[in-house]
Amino acid sequence: MPPHQADAIVIGSGISGLTTAALLAKSGRQVVLIEKNKKPGGALRRFKRAGIPFDIGFHYTGGLGNKEILRVLWEYLGVWPNITAVPLHPGGHDLFRFRKSGRSVRAYYSYDLLQEELITNFPREAGGIRDFLANIRRICRTVPFYNLDLPLTPFLRDYLTAGNRSLADVIQTSVKDPELQAILAAPALLYGIPPRNAGFALHSAVTHGYYSGAYGIVGGGQAIVDAFITVLQRTGTEIITNCPVEHITVKDGTVQSVIAGGHEIKAEQVIYTGQPNALPDLTAKGTFRPAYIHRLKDLEDTKSMFILFGKLDCPDDGPRLATTNLYSLPPGVDIMDAPSPGTAGETLLVTAPGRRDVSDGSDAPAANGVIVMRPASWEEAATYDLGHKKRRTGYQTWKEETATTLLTEVEKCFGDLCPKITPLATGTPLTFRDELGGPQGGVYGTQHNMTQFAPRARTKVEGLTLSGQSTLMTGLLGSSLAGLVTAGEIIGLETIWDQVLT
Amino acid sequence: MIHDEEIRRQVIEVIAEEFELDPVALTPEATLYDDLGLDSLDAVDMVVALEKKFGVKLANEESIRSVRTMADIFALIISLKPAGQ
Ligand SMILES: Cc1cc2nc3c(=O)[nH]c(=O)nc-3n(C[C@H](O)[C@H](O)[C@H](O)COP(=O)(O)OP(=O)(O)OC[C@H]3O[C@@H](n4cnc5c(N)ncnc54)[C@H](O)[C@@H]3O)c2cc1C
Repeated sequence: MPPHQADAIVIGSGISGLTTAALLAKSGRQVVLIEKNKKPGGALRRFKRAGIPFDIGFHYTGGLGNKEILRVLWEYLGVWPNITAVPLHPGGHDLFRFRKSGRSVRAYYSYDLLQEELITNFPREAGGIRDFLANIRRICRTVPFYNLDLPLTPFLRDYLTAGNRSLADVIQTSVKDPELQAILAAPALLYGIPPRNAGFALHSAVTHGYYSGAYGIVGGGQAIVDAFITVLQRTGTEIITNCPVEHITVKDGTVQSVIAGGHEIKAEQVIYTGQPNALPDLTAKGTFRPAYIHRLKDLEDTKSMFILFGKLDCPDDGPRLATTNLYSLPPGVDIMDAPSPGTAGETLLVTAPGRRDVSDGSDAPAANGVIVMRPASWEEAATYDLGHKKRRTGYQTWKEETATTLLTEVEKCFGDLCPKITPLATGTPLTFRDELGGPQGGVYGTQHNMTQFAPRARTKVEGLTLSGQSTLMTGLLGSSLAGLVTAGEIIGLETIWDQVLT
Repeated sequence: MIHDEEIRRQVIEVIAEEFELDPVALTPEATLYDDLGLDSLDAVDMVVALEKKFGVKLANEESIRSVRTMADIFALIISLKPAGQ
């Protein structure tokens, strides 16, 4: 029987919800965490096909070096001892390949190595490369998450907006070679905003994490979820799964309770970490003004993907996939355009995060798994949409054809580096819409682009706070920080910042 | 281009609807915070609503920071001369 009362109810058990719940529990609050799916973890969950566990939303991250923010946060919360991070640097890199020229460039997860490799490949652009990378580092020195001596509040007030230029603009004024432009734009694939709409400041904040050193995690995103659940259980936090929150009750502008599975739980604080566009329908009419409702409902989703989960036929032929992600890119800054019908397009990503499980010495089944992705438009899938988890006939055939085209391209492009792949499962914009809630199948929540205002943590309802990748920044790191900021809005921003850092 | 008076009328209309305010209260002298009871959270919603209605970008306008009254909003939108709808 679920409890009738709590100090705080966190809706959603993705990394943001787990982080907020763990911080609130650590501050002595009685927390209830409610998740609509059968298992906790949101996008970090692993699922299994043919005995192989696959990550959905976690391939690699920054921020886990000594004294770096994600590790500091996880140490503070006590989850770090249960996590085995695998540094992918110094040798690890993204490999960018251009099909027309055949050029391959290694983008190391290290500023120094990256700069050296880029200058070796594009010697005439040396000045622009140095400036571009120096600019990212300069911006990140003003971001408290990367410069832990800074206070949090002033940064959040002007959050990465002042004097902003687009990523495309900064790249095009820094360097002229279209292949180099594509390489510098590529990290935009990690937050799902086309470079012409992405602000350079946000780009810097996401990219800096990877350029400073990237990490995999043994057991993938699931290992992070499991580590959090262990800690939460220790604090007495109640975790209720398979239970969608249906309603948030508000009276006289103050949150009262949450109704889930027909059961009411009262709480002074309610934290919602799902897609912002779904929030208005969880509250009674009149709770929010039309202006806020329209703002949430109109938010533009991040870009979607077509994703293929497969098995490496001879996994040992591809050991380099443990520390390398393979990218094919078109030249220029427009790397995120969906392909024209019937083609795979030029942007592809091949990654095998499960291969990092091998580092603990076990011959983990995850090591045979491989994930292939390409940008996808909502429109190409929408013709098969008949509502939540309902598809028009032809969908299956379309998915199979798309998968075949994609694998043919992967073989053409990376046949020398990646063993043959047997497809096991695919995901489309419709899958992402149904699983993650983005209205157009966005893989990273709401766009934090230059032209729209993503919602912040605080709402007009007393006691109702938002969190999640759509509120601050996306990715494992960004969503964890969103969880931290939301807990900070409740406990006190500078208080929590000081506590985490000391 | 639409007439200034028409812009004022439309500003009042959109603010009244989106913030559930009585249009009669939206006089030029009315201050957003004290008279209309809006706060800093509403300010962003206001920018979003006006940008959408008039197809203009307000976020980067320096003058947005000094908006205090309805008259300031009228002046700001008029200065950006939105195209007619
Ligand atoms: C294909 C893909 C690849 C990615 N790769 C990387 C990567 O390599 N590195 C990286 O750092 N990031 C990556 N990401 C991004 C990262 O996974 C996400 O940014 C992050 O996990 C989001 O966490 P969240 O808590 O904000 O949201 P979510 O994980 O989506 O969690 C929200 C949770 O709320 C639940 N919920 C929503 N509404 C309700 C309700 N009404 N009642 C109850 N529960 C509800 C949902 O079921 C869900 O579990 C990737 C994402 C995808 C999709």
